[in-house]
Amino acid sequence: MSATGEPTIRTAIRIRPRSTITIAMASFLGFVAFLWPFVVPPGTFSSTETPPLIFGVLLALVLAVVFAEVADGGIDAKALAMLGVLSAINAALRPLGAGTAGIETVFFILVLAGRVYGAGFGFALGCTSLFASALLTGGVGPWMPYQMFGCAWVGMFAGLLPPLRGKAEIAMLAGYGALAGYLFGFMLNLSFWPFSLDPSSSIAYKPGLSFVEQWHRYLLFDVTTSLGWDTGRAITNIVAILLAGPAALAAFRRAARRANFRPAVTFHDREDLSPS
Amino acid sequence: MIGFDHVGVSYEGAATPVLRDVNLRIEEGELCLVIGHTGSGKSTLLAAVNGLVPYFTGGTLTGRVVVDGRDTAHFRPRELADVVGVVGQDPLAGFVTDTVEEELAYTMEQLAIDPAAMRTRLEETLDLLGIADLRSRALHTLSGGQQQRVAIGAALTAQPRILVLDEPTSALDPTSAEDVLATITRLVHDLGVTVVLAEHRLERVVPYADRVVYLPGDGTVTAGEPAAILARSAVAPPVVELGRLAGWDPLPLSVRDARRHASALRRQLPDTPPVSHRAAHAATGRLAAPPPAALTARGIIVRYGALIAVRDVDLTLRRGETTALMGRNGSGKSSLLWAMQGSGRRAAGRVSVAGAATDPAKLPAAEARHLVGLVPQTPADLLYLDTVAAELAEADRDARASADTGARARAILDDIAPGIAAGMHPRDLSAGQQLALVLAVQLTAAPAVILLDEPTRGLDYQAKAGLTGTLDRLAARGHAIVVATHDVEFATRGCDRVVVMAEGEIVADGPSATVLTASPTFAPQVAKILAPLPYLTVAQIAAALDQVAAP
Amino acid sequence: MTGQAGQAGAGRGGAAGTGGLPAGRPGTAGTRGPPADRPGADEPHGGRRLPRALHPVAWWLWAIALATAASRTSNPLLLLLIFAVLGLVVAVRRTDAPWARAYRYYLFMALTIIAIRIVFRVVFESGVTPGDHILFRLPHIPTPSWYSGIQIGGPVSLEAVLSATLDGMRLACLLCCIGAANTLANPKRALRVLPGALYELGVAVTVALSVAPQLVESVQRVRRARRLRGAGGRGLRALRAIAIPVLHDALERSLLLAAGMDSRGYGRTGSATRASRRLTAALMLAGLAGLCIGAYGLLDSTVPHGLGIGGFAAGAALCVAGLALGGRRVSRSRYRPDPWRWPEWAVVGCAVVTAVVLCLNTGYNPAALNPALYPLHWPSLPLLPTVAILASALAAFAAPPPPATTILAGPRPAPRAGEMTLAGVRR
Repeated sequence: MSATGEPTIRTAIRIRPRSTITIAMASFLGFVAFLWPFVVPPGTFSSTETPPLIFGVLLALVLAVVFAEVADGGIDAKALAMLGVLSAINAALRPLGAGTAGIETVFFILVLAGRVYGAGFGFALGCTSLFASALLTGGVGPWMPYQMFGCAWVGMFAGLLPPLRGKAEIAMLAGYGALAGYLFGFMLNLSFWPFSLDPSSSIAYKPGLSFVEQWHRYLLFDVTTSLGWDTGRAITNIVAILLAGPAALAAFRRAARRANFRPAVTFHDREDLSPS
Repeated sequence: MIGFDHVGVSYEGAATPVLRDVNLRIEEGELCLVIGHTGSGKSTLLAAVNGLVPYFTGGTLTGRVVVDGRDTAHFRPRELADVVGVVGQDPLAGFVTDTVEEELAYTMEQLAIDPAAMRTRLEETLDLLGIADLRSRALHTLSGGQQQRVAIGAALTAQPRILVLDEPTSALDPTSAEDVLATITRLVHDLGVTVVLAEHRLERVVPYADRVVYLPGDGTVTAGEPAAILARSAVAPPVVELGRLAGWDPLPLSVRDARRHASALRRQLPDTPPVSHRAAHAATGRLAAPPPAALTARGIIVRYGALIAVRDVDLTLRRGETTALMGRNGSGKSSLLWAMQGSGRRAAGRVSVAGAATDPAKLPAAEARHLVGLVPQTPADLLYLDTVAAELAEADRDARASADTGARARAILDDIAPGIAAGMHPRDLSAGQQLALVLAVQLTAAPAVILLDEPTRGLDYQAKAGLTGTLDRLAARGHAIVVATHDVEFATRGCDRVVVMAEGEIVADGPSATVLTASPTFAPQVAKILAPLPYLTVAQIAAALDQVAAP
Repeated sequence: MTGQAGQAGAGRGGAAGTGGLPAGRPGTAGTRGPPADRPGADEPHGGRRLPRALHPVAWWLWAIALATAASRTSNPLLLLLIFAVLGLVVAVRRTDAPWARAYRYYLFMALTIIAIRIVFRVVFESGVTPGDHILFRLPHIPTPSWYSGIQIGGPVSLEAVLSATLDGMRLACLLCCIGAANTLANPKRALRVLPGALYELGVAVTVALSVAPQLVESVQRVRRARRLRGAGGRGLRALRAIAIPVLHDALERSLLLAAGMDSRGYGRTGSATRASRRLTAALMLAGLAGLCIGAYGLLDSTVPHGLGIGGFAAGAALCVAGLALGGRRVSRSRYRPDPWRWPEWAVVGCAVVTAVVLCLNTGYNPAALNPALYPLHWPSLPLLPTVAILASALAAFAAPPPPATTILAGPRPAPRAGEMTLAGVRR
């Protein structure tokens, strides 16, 4: 980041190697939890309704562990206050988009904040935003771990994008926002596909089918039910990032400089002091 | 209780240290007042007390700060939470939870205080601060003064022996400010809490201070008896300025003390002041015919649902006249300003601006601002670009798009507040500079009428004097100006006319000298000291004394 | 509506509505409008009880148990009964907080789920059995060969529609159970039961909940101020001119808040020693590794079944242990913790009875829970499950009446008139 001559902005949340391993394992578990209809061999589960529930509980546990691990000494008051305030923005923005043809307003802050404050912060912000929003609107339920995980990924990968600056950066973020919009929809649909349709419907999840057949059914389900929404979400992200992205990035970077995360602290004239 | 031993503070990347070689000793139970201009290092000094400097801000601290026997080099701010309570400028920004009770409990929860003890302590704190009736209220629905008292309460529940308050009243109106300051002084007297207070409403606190710490702005600090320090400091309330002028010793710090000294002065002064209290800007008052009207408002009514904010108000603003709009919070001042500008709600009434055929409310926003310009209470709301230069260019573009007035924002800004760098971020400017920038942006549209909503909030003496000068110059060029303000001293120095509102109606309207001296509570300090003589400012007395001495 | 409801609630601090019992808040008694009490408190057995919030966990357990029961049956009569129980309890025991208004959205979602299931079953039909009652036929759209097995259109049978409806009803019922928990449990109090290891999550969310209303005010203020610069409050340029000042405001606020939290003792180290922190980390890492092994066992069928299950079980146990131990790194106490007394036990107990009866399949014909569609017949109402479901409704009376909510609706001058009318209507 310092290659462009700007002062380096320290990431808001320190990620130790241990936390990296934790997040990597959690992500693996997340992938299994989302993609089980394709990757788990048929016959492993007896019912189509139990796995989503089991995986929901599993994801909640995994998220708790990751958050506890990252938080252990990693989240100071500045990062936490920033997390709270940005979650508030997201929680306040979210109902704006709900119900209006796929307008998804949460990703804008999530992507930009993840970009500026780092992957760890992005991950945490994804979790807290969705949690706060669910509490405010009374939307707590088994779908929450899935949504939290999805958003946490969106925020985390935004923090891992290559260090571009200027127009290239905005273009990259807009592209990422669009991609994230589609992928988020794809994954989230997958989380309730297995039980949301009557099993006799020909686009419903049917245990025991081969990967290709299952994939066909899901693609058709995804296209019919939510392609419009996902496109709406992707377009919202592109427009918002292109339009307000540069100014918002500047605001975030300025805040990061002012916040001076994990500052260098020195005390001088200490040698002549005795503990009082 | 608090000891600063050769303390210096410098921030990362800053060329000069903010504080140098500060030696300070504040004893238990003292109320220590920290004074100095904006940017002189007051906040740094206060934040060093509980270690926020340097742990939170970063930077280097030389020397040592010892608080209640604990060296901040060894104790982080959070480990000093039970010794030092901190209250900031904007209470709402510092709240973690959303109801009064939870907020008061938050600090105790962090300190892991036993639930039963917590409950008793919380009840005591509620009573101590007189906020028991607010206990289950949502914090953001409280008034500023109530919020600040809750913030003080939240700091007190940890039972700290020191309370640090950084300009706790700068965002409040005078009534709330007085509430808060009364609370603070009571804490000092009843509980023996050591209070370190930075404040620029000196006239309210100076009488209670045991010690004054003055920061002249070069990083050094002078501390001592209030009278001794104020005799030399650049910031001083009018009562002190008067005392200095009259050579009173000991220097009086309150109106009461000053009145005791004043009888001799009163005998010495002529019955009518030889110069107007607006001597620097006396041109308008003496004209035979009143200047032409710039804006005429008739029958203005503003209502929000069942609440009537402005009740059938008539108001005429004249060119070259600065009017102070005063009254308590919620008396309809803001609503009236917004209604006159045309952007705000208006249920009934007409506004006509000289030289324009149409009511500004009926014009598109871009044209209305060429008639009437309004600077809102939070000027920063209007700023959204990255640099001062960009904001100014945008202002030029906006103004030219509707009617080219020939005015250029940069020139106007340099006239109001010279020396604001073009590359600065508008949010990094001081409150006074932000106000100047927004005023310049609004003046680019060359409106004949300029309305300012609470511009003095958060300004120090210097910035207020600067604002007075700016408004005087604008008035001299023929603008009609209205300033909604709570600040009596500012209204005295800067305004020709005072309009007082209550419950949406105008209850007093007249020349400031008449309105401000009519009631003892509403009068500026000098008037209170010299009553019944109609003197309002120290400058008037100086002129009168010169006249007496000259012949 | 919001303000009025809140205001009416605020007036409830007075003593008159609770049969002369001392009011919990002397400060508010008598200062506001006439008392407007919850319907529940007017009932004879509720009259002697002080309003208080039931422990949020109790409501969640009640809802989960009821959901478990609902998942056992596709008998429309039983499902309707569960809907009725949910409706009753929500109507009697919800507050006027914003989250408590969510229930209607859940009902709406429930209907949508049923509709979607029917539509998708009808459109993407996958064949009919010979004896089916055919309702109508949709035009059959041929699908390309690579879309093997997916059919669009064709005959629609009554059995197919019914099966989709009943299944949809069950899912909708589960959703409504969750909705009821969201409506009844106070989420802010639920945050307090988060384990200590997730303390930061709780604080971040608390901050978010308290900052959100301020942000809304900030947006309104900036939007209003926009006009002063001659620009409207709409359009894409306005979006930026409104968003950026609000964002700056919020970020500055966060820094002030952080300073405040730091000086108020946030993050004071708890009783955890260095060794116990290491142990926590090791437990959690090992736990995740165990879960990963379990997950791998699912993917690869060559892995012995026991290893997969064992991995999951051990991993979950280790994670929980790690979280429990991790809670010691922060030391804090709770102000006025929610009590767990007999009403909590009663609420949880009655729903557990329902769940157990519907899971055990004894004392009644298990087939009555899932009536067959072949041959079509009217479902019967088995006695024991009916009684068991009705037992859950006892929660409405076991739970104390909810307290007044003043959290988000503070007294403002305007809604005073509304307060009167609302109170009058309730009487």
